[in-house]
Amino acid sequence: MFGLLGPNGAGKTTTVKILCTLLEPTSGHAFVKGYDVVKDAGRVRKIVNMVAGGERMLYYRLTGRENLRYFADLYDAPKKEVTARVNNLLELMGLSDRADDEVEKYSKGMRQRLQVCRGLINNPEVLFLDEPTLGLDVNIAKDLRSFVREKIVREQGKTVLLTTHYMYEAEEMCDRVGFISKGKLVAVGEPQELKRRMPSGFSIEILVTRLTEETISGLGKLESVRKVITTDYEGESEGEKIDRLVVNVDNDEALPHVLTHMASTHCRVVSFNLRGPTLEDLFMFYTGEK
Amino acid sequence: MFTRVAMAEALKSLKVYFFSGRTLVWTLVLPLGNGLYLCFLYLPFATKSVNLQFNAATYTIDLVGFTIIGQLLYSFFTMMLLAGASFEAERWQGTLEALLLSPANRIALLLGEALANAVNYTWMLIALVLSWVAFIRVSILVTDLFALFASLALSYLAMVALGMCLETFDIYSRRGSIFTAWLQEPVMFLSGQIFPLQSMPGFLLPFSYLLPLTFGLMAVRLTLLGGASMHEVAVPLVALAIMTIVFLILARVLVNYAERRAKAKATLTQF
Repeated sequence: MFGLLGPNGAGKTTTVKILCTLLEPTSGHAFVKGYDVVKDAGRVRKIVNMVAGGERMLYYRLTGRENLRYFADLYDAPKKEVTARVNNLLELMGLSDRADDEVEKYSKGMRQRLQVCRGLINNPEVLFLDEPTLGLDVNIAKDLRSFVREKIVREQGKTVLLTTHYMYEAEEMCDRVGFISKGKLVAVGEPQELKRRMPSGFSIEILVTRLTEETISGLGKLESVRKVITTDYEGESEGEKIDRLVVNVDNDEALPHVLTHMASTHCRVVSFNLRGPTLEDLFMFYTGEK
Repeated sequence: MFTRVAMAEALKSLKVYFFSGRTLVWTLVLPLGNGLYLCFLYLPFATKSVNLQFNAATYTIDLVGFTIIGQLLYSFFTMMLLAGASFEAERWQGTLEALLLSPANRIALLLGEALANAVNYTWMLIALVLSWVAFIRVSILVTDLFALFASLALSYLAMVALGMCLETFDIYSRRGSIFTAWLQEPVMFLSGQIFPLQSMPGFLLPFSYLLPLTFGLMAVRLTLLGGASMHEVAVPLVALAIMTIVFLILARVLVNYAERRAKAKATLTQF
């Protein structure tokens, strides 16, 4: 599962639409499963589908079941399987009891779940989710994320490309993420790997007693340490005043070096906490957005 | 797959756009009223006839029948213009992208939409014929039933094929239906819907012969009211058959062009 992240207007939806054959690239080439999205558009359409946020792409005057049967016909799904496939999808998304109601009578969440059914009606190899939880309430969005992650990605082994504004959504769902800014892919990789690549992305907060200038200057000379900040701290340990240190480091591998240095300068470490960058930090770092 | 897509598209369009109470009134009851209006308009002249010149022969046919057939086929032509508007409705409701995201054959989609309109027209046809039969007497003169059937079928096919071409305008642009609406009045004038073609200024006739409605009106009027045989209406029938083929090929070319242009210009979501 791949997450495409970027600010408004960065080109996320445009990228998805190009990959789905709904837009033609102004230059360059794009491929899905080895097929050129312009030259082999017909083949690409058979193996992909897209779910967009915002309740579109459904016929409101048709029932949920009629919508799915119609799209099954457009994708030439095997006729013998259509009824079972439609029923399964409706069951999976919890819409069975409202399957024969017109979509205009559905709530926003139900429409979005039906959209997911539509996106899966052709059993696509690659599914594009363009802001799929947009406007959904917390519980429905959570269920949808869990469904995509567990059923579509883990159980069915499908490739999913997700675009979202919600960093926690990408962090929770995606194996790999890419950051897009002004139409350019500026970074791509596993979240942990990207965090490691981010200079000064990690910080170690250390509560310490017997802190000396020698300790602080020595820390600053360590290879992976970028910055050392001391701040006041209200508290004592075994009768000694506690100081608080925040050490910005390149990666998590710097932690043992920092602690060894502290010990060698006779400081007493009361506690420490290593904090890695969040996806939000990465987003700001790679896209330059705040 | 072609037939399946065309049928699915036609059924969907009928359910979404036509089978509601309001549209049933529009498609069934209003045409009935329109038929009655025509009947009473021409009733004072019911005994009059019109001379239709064709192939160096003159056919004297019933004036009311002449007018009503003109109205029937022109209504059908209008329905084909409306087929294009179906894609405009897809734009409004945000489903055009879902439609074009699928690998469905585009010609099958166009045919499905046109067929839905054609089926809808059948309601109108029934309503008009009912009013015709019920309220006035039209002198029908049929000598070759097969020629009549061929005239109706080929008129139907040629206009469905033309409708498919016109639908591509709405795939290309949200302003597509404006372009097709421009055709309404010129077609009404040029096709000979309300007066015989021989009354038309000569320099306009070449434009008349570009329209399937012109040949459809000619063939149906002559075979239904003038007693013409297959041999006598061979020219309009061949013209209709050629037009059907040409429009189908044109629809194929236009739909590919319209889709590619819309995707290059990012206009599929504009409404």
